[in-house]
Amino acid sequence: MELNRRQVLKLAGLGIALPTASSLLSACSNDKSGAGSGDGSVKFEGWDYEAALVQKNLDRFTQLNNIKINYTPITSAQYVQKVVAEFTGGGGPDALYVYDDSLAGWVEGDYLQPLDGLPGVDEVYDAIYPGNAKAMTYQGKRYGLPYYTDSNSLTYNSGILAKAGILKPPASLEELEAQALKIKNAGLLQYPIGVPAQLSDTWWSWVWALVFASGGNMFDDQQAPIMNTTDTVVKDVFAWLQQAANKSKVIDPACLQLLPVPIDNAMKAERYAYTIGARYANRDYNDPTKSKAAGKIKMALVPSLDGQVHGTVSNTRLYGLAKDTEVKDNAFKLLTYLGGLDADKKPYTAQYWFLQRGLGFAYKSMATDPEIVASLKKFADPAVYAHLAEIAKPRNILGVPWYTEFETEMHKVVQGVLSNQTQPSAAVASLAQTAETLKKKYS
Amino acid sequence: MSVLTERRPLGDNARAWALNAPAMIVIALLVAYPIGYSFWVSLQRNNLKRPRAKKFIGFDNYKALLSDQAFLSALKVSALFVLVVLGLTVVLALILALVLNERFRGRGLLLSLALLPWAMPGVVNGLMWRTIFDAKTGALNGLLSQLGLIDNYHAWLTSGTGAFGFTALAQVWNTLPFSVIILLAGLSTIPSELYDAATVDRAGAWQRFVQVTLPWLLHPLLIVLILETMNAFRAFDTIYVLTGGGPGDATTTIALLDVQTVLTFTDFGLGSAYAWVITAITLLISVGYIGLLYRKGNFEV
Repeated sequence: MELNRRQVLKLAGLGIALPTASSLLSACSNDKSGAGSGDGSVKFEGWDYEAALVQKNLDRFTQLNNIKINYTPITSAQYVQKVVAEFTGGGGPDALYVYDDSLAGWVEGDYLQPLDGLPGVDEVYDAIYPGNAKAMTYQGKRYGLPYYTDSNSLTYNSGILAKAGILKPPASLEELEAQALKIKNAGLLQYPIGVPAQLSDTWWSWVWALVFASGGNMFDDQQAPIMNTTDTVVKDVFAWLQQAANKSKVIDPACLQLLPVPIDNAMKAERYAYTIGARYANRDYNDPTKSKAAGKIKMALVPSLDGQVHGTVSNTRLYGLAKDTEVKDNAFKLLTYLGGLDADKKPYTAQYWFLQRGLGFAYKSMATDPEIVASLKKFADPAVYAHLAEIAKPRNILGVPWYTEFETEMHKVVQGVLSNQTQPSAAVASLAQTAETLKKKYS
Repeated sequence: MSVLTERRPLGDNARAWALNAPAMIVIALLVAYPIGYSFWVSLQRNNLKRPRAKKFIGFDNYKALLSDQAFLSALKVSALFVLVVLGLTVVLALILALVLNERFRGRGLLLSLALLPWAMPGVVNGLMWRTIFDAKTGALNGLLSQLGLIDNYHAWLTSGTGAFGFTALAQVWNTLPFSVIILLAGLSTIPSELYDAATVDRAGAWQRFVQVTLPWLLHPLLIVLILETMNAFRAFDTIYVLTGGGPGDATTTIALLDVQTVLTFTDFGLGSAYAWVITAITLLISVGYIGLLYRKGNFEV
């Protein structure tokens, strides 16, 4: 066979183009390293919180079960986006961390499979707080085992309060403002209250906590917005925020450019007397190797409009099982090890996390476990800690596909309230309008 | 023999096509295909959270933009951002280029310093300015306080106007050197005879600038205007790090809204439509610049 110049050029062109095309195609194809590789290994992904401790715990699992785990920590700022991209490309993990506010979308996206009927799942759901069970259930099906949970508390520096002659934490928002003013007027702090209010992708738990603490809600059980109609709590809470930020000036205006970590640092440096946030932060605040305020930080129930106890907000992080996993049995064994009960009916990994890092637990039995209580006493009052867990509830719009959009819009509206650019009535009207628009868009 | 007589040498055109084909295939795969695909996605309802609801909807995503308050607000912010950044960049770059075009001691050092911000990635630029504007420990507060201009530290980025102004300033600082280089290159091509002739004609400094320098700089200015408009319109990293788009919507530009729509809300259909609108607007502005300035360039001087 004799080749002419045209044929030679064609072949040369193909020779160059094919490797390029094939490498591109292979980049787009499924990455099933681990999963389906034949050795039963499990591809496991999570956000990058304490990756070394996670790996240590996984090594123990491998030793006990002889199942290899390919663990990939992903930066938490991009966790949701990366997992979505992986599942969309067909190369998702077998088991993974799931945020409660991502659950509905990931179920709708066919990324996860329900755990109903799998061994030990009913037992786990019976052993955890109802709020956590609710957060891991979507359309009547159970999709996860608990990683950790937390509820929001009022965190205060008892040393600063004592210097201002304040003996007990506030029960109402009015009291909180009055106490903060006392601290301010005593020249102890210019702005005694700090909350993270810079726009970001993470939820603003403190806003939900303030609303739930006063017995209000933004939505009814059918996910219809009520903040502008039957429920006046949201508007009243916004009015209090505006007053505290702009009239009495006890909320730091710099909060609008502060993310959670700088707020933590400010609490540890005794730059704020009060904040509202997750209970587990108290462990760090009271760690003498990390905090100037160690030993002085205490937690209380979140103050309400009327001074009565109504509730707080909780969040749940869970372990989920991929719908298309080819190693379901091994992946579920891993899930049970991480989020379930062991042979002694104890939640080994939940205890591990609490003892190592103070992460909140979903298991009711742990609240009375002597080892846990002893550890808890080092940074919090076990009674207040348990009370918060009992009254905490999840956001009731986690199941709607437009939750993220609503949360993002809420941040902007609250910023407007704090910076005195939006009046509370306009703020709730705008939120209700946003919710209606989103519902229509997704209908 | 008969085989040899059948062979014909490739014509120039065919050879050019053949030699360029591999590169064109690679460009088509890596550039044209994603661009074309993004347009295809913009014609779909395509949200990763609802894969079952995915469907072709024609230009509905584009039509929806007309009543999309978030989009309209972001477009307004972007337009203002482009105006402020472009205005500041052109004026400051022109002044700096004119200064650096003179011969004086320390010119080399000043030139190096002026170019330094260009080497800084947008995210690093954002982080640096964030530290400078910090309400508690920022250098700006420290400086103003030591000069006795303020009594208490201010949270500069918490008002809409402040956040917008300081973000624009940070963006200008980052992109200014590029404009300076282009204008400096333009200045170096102006024949010195023109200045000599203008001086003989008793033209003052301002007249020399208006009658000689500016007409010769129109083409470099055109490049600066096009590229800086594109840069300002697509600005994302500095704004994201400094304010995250806040307070409220004060610094939510269309690029920021686009990234949020695609990556946070996973709405690829709407996000792609946003991206195409950004492209179309930038293209229109660029064509407008060329129409206005190209013919007035140095060819007429």
